[in-house]
Amino acid sequence: MEFLKMDGITKKFGNAYANKNIVLSVKEGEVHTLLGENGAGKSTLMNILIGLYQPTAGEINLRGEKVKIDTPAKAVKFGIGMVHQHFMLVEAMTVFENIILGTTKESSAFIKKEAMKKEIRELADKYGLNIELDKPITEISVGAQQRVEILKALYRGAELLILDEPTAALTDIEVIGLFQIIRKLTAEKKSVIFISHKMREVLEISDRITVLRAGETIKTLDKEQTTATELANLMIGRELVTSEYSKVIQSGENVLELDQVSFNSSSKHNGICNLSLNLYKGEVLGIAGVDGNGQSQLAQLVTGNLVPEHGTVVLKGDRVSNFVPKHFIDSNVSHIPEDRNKMGLIGNMTVKENLILKSTEKPTISYGKGGFIRKRAIKLFADQMKKKYDIRCASLDQEIRNLSGGNQQKVILARELEEVPEMLVAVHPTRGLDIGATKYVHDKIIDARDQGCGVLLISADFDEVLKLSDRIAVMFEGQILGIYSGQNPPIHEISLAMSGKESERSSSNEIK
Amino acid sequence: MEVFLNWNFIQELILSTIRMATPILIVALAELYSERAGMVNIGLDGIMAFGALIGFLVSYSTGQPLLGVLAGAVGGIVINSVYAFCTIHLGAEQIVYGMAINIFAPAIASFLYKIKFGISSSLAQATLMQEMPIPVLSSIPVIGKLLFSHTPIIYLAYLLVPLSYVFFSKTKAGLNYKAVGEFPKAAETMGIPVVRTKYLACMICGALAGIGGAYLTTCYISTYSDGVVSGRGFIALSAVIFGRWMPGGVLLAALLFGFTDALQIRLQVLNSSTPYQLLAMIPYLCTLFVLAFFGIKKAGPAANGRPYFREER
Repeated sequence: MEFLKMDGITKKFGNAYANKNIVLSVKEGEVHTLLGENGAGKSTLMNILIGLYQPTAGEINLRGEKVKIDTPAKAVKFGIGMVHQHFMLVEAMTVFENIILGTTKESSAFIKKEAMKKEIRELADKYGLNIELDKPITEISVGAQQRVEILKALYRGAELLILDEPTAALTDIEVIGLFQIIRKLTAEKKSVIFISHKMREVLEISDRITVLRAGETIKTLDKEQTTATELANLMIGRELVTSEYSKVIQSGENVLELDQVSFNSSSKHNGICNLSLNLYKGEVLGIAGVDGNGQSQLAQLVTGNLVPEHGTVVLKGDRVSNFVPKHFIDSNVSHIPEDRNKMGLIGNMTVKENLILKSTEKPTISYGKGGFIRKRAIKLFADQMKKKYDIRCASLDQEIRNLSGGNQQKVILARELEEVPEMLVAVHPTRGLDIGATKYVHDKIIDARDQGCGVLLISADFDEVLKLSDRIAVMFEGQILGIYSGQNPPIHEISLAMSGKESERSSSNEIK
Repeated sequence: MEVFLNWNFIQELILSTIRMATPILIVALAELYSERAGMVNIGLDGIMAFGALIGFLVSYSTGQPLLGVLAGAVGGIVINSVYAFCTIHLGAEQIVYGMAINIFAPAIASFLYKIKFGISSSLAQATLMQEMPIPVLSSIPVIGKLLFSHTPIIYLAYLLVPLSYVFFSKTKAGLNYKAVGEFPKAAETMGIPVVRTKYLACMICGALAGIGGAYLTTCYISTYSDGVVSGRGFIALSAVIFGRWMPGGVLLAALLFGFTDALQIRLQVLNSSTPYQLLAMIPYLCTLFVLAFFGIKKAGPAANGRPYFREER
């Protein structure tokens, strides 16, 4: 039986269509995946369904009856619950308080703690959601926070649960747990809308898949009758060529040398301990390792954002004594920071302004070394970058926080790579990006390498490190446990090293 | 030293502390309700000035100070609805509009006063509110006189503290209210009417700040003059920060400020040789000191001061 039917949904933001004539139907007890690139309109569509946005046109039917969902309160009443990609949890409150927030089940004005807790626990047990009710939100893991979000929706009597990129922040084991929960939900005749662009997961959990592209419905398919390749092609609208990058072996000039560098070395997770490393010109040195083993500190040290406590850093043959970002920028070092919203971009400034942040003193951008801004020249430059890097935005004067993650990343790439750097520090360069954007970023990194740039690639995505790196260094608790060749890398050994086991290292094919 | 240890002196000091703390407490609670819904209102001083005038006018013309206080509340709501509309509906900067209220409201109060009484050197006198000793309780020795022989507004102010505590910590409505100040979008997706809550917060804030102002002209001194508020709104603002956005903390902070105020008046009387301006600085210095030491750690509502739009991307 059909639970939900969205028909002809259109949503305009200003003059831009975020959704155009979208059709989506979800049956009772099925997992229906919405597949699409960033900016394809998935989140907008879901925000309409939960009453946060009002559609410009179109209608929503629930169990065959036309409904108008103009407030989130109504969506809750109709049994629609959503787990947002960025969780909607109040950090200053406990798990329990977050779950009962806004509920109207009990008529009493006071919070009947014990009775409500009992009810929540029963519900949690039924679906295998393991949570601690009295802990503050800030003290539980991301996986647990997600379970709280699911429980929150179920406690409100959700019949349809929307999961927006639920696996993005989870470890592999947590994903397995999530899928078990989803199966229990569908067994109880509840429907799930699953939003993701990870093909493997989509094919594992979905019953049907609807592909969105550029705000329009492309096709709805049964899982049995499709393949990952077909889905990927539908999603990006052309044949996706997966690229294999050639590996190079460099041994010439060093662009960067670290010798016995330490920072906050007593911390296993946020420090660096006696680390030595060298990066050649024209190679990609990948740093593999589980997130939180000092990678973030390493990146900030070699871009001047942190000052080492011991050891020397040699950049292009000169020992660095002045650890400020400007020194590194002036030495032609580019940085793709780990969190583009915190470090790479200024959200409330325009696309244009973000593009020139680093080069305001250049004569092409301003008169008299940063005196007066040359507006026309900047506009011209920004237009060029928009075309060259395929930045999709309504206007270059748009605030950058309104762009999708992929397009934000392209702005950073344009800024950091346009004048080919001598060294590039790229940290999680494709985190949160879809297939098309990821490939684009990879191509650009390899392009830079081929033009002689030394690339320090730090990524928690092991596949990405394997794909791009000419040499792979494994980082564990602030130290380098081994450096391996990027050609036919010994994957098993690297995995062992990533978990801190270096016993087999002596026999490895370590190269210097 | 003898003067200080005199029982009469101590008793008077305590009584005066309670009276001096009252307007600060009421107005700090006004700000607490406002900020808990994410509305930083620095216009308290202005709302108080307006409340003080309206309260005085009504009390003067009817001879009923209690009616004056009620009118002060209404006046506060009217003035604060300007702030509410601009910041909630139009998404304007809260600090800017709070400042605007601070400039605009005392000026209009002064203007209205001059229309009514003209420009003369003698101030119009209204009747002060009578004390209302609570039967039985007020006859308890010592405590009775200190705690239970006050004007109704004082009882109201101190009663609001436990009531607010229960509201914020024990009721569902209070939990929902706090969520609006912490994470409005999450609150909205949970079906909590964010915009309505924010307007309600501004109404409560306006009413209480208006009462706080009217208290000055109906219970404390019997005249209205420009500058009667003398920065109490700002002291209340810092009492909220010092009180860690909790009703109990706000009470302690208000009592501290009330105490310094009561103390400086007594010191002025005792030390006629010291310039009184120096002593009058004590409460403000105390505020500065408290803010410097307790204002650093961020403990307020997470979305405090930020405009909220439902359809923001």
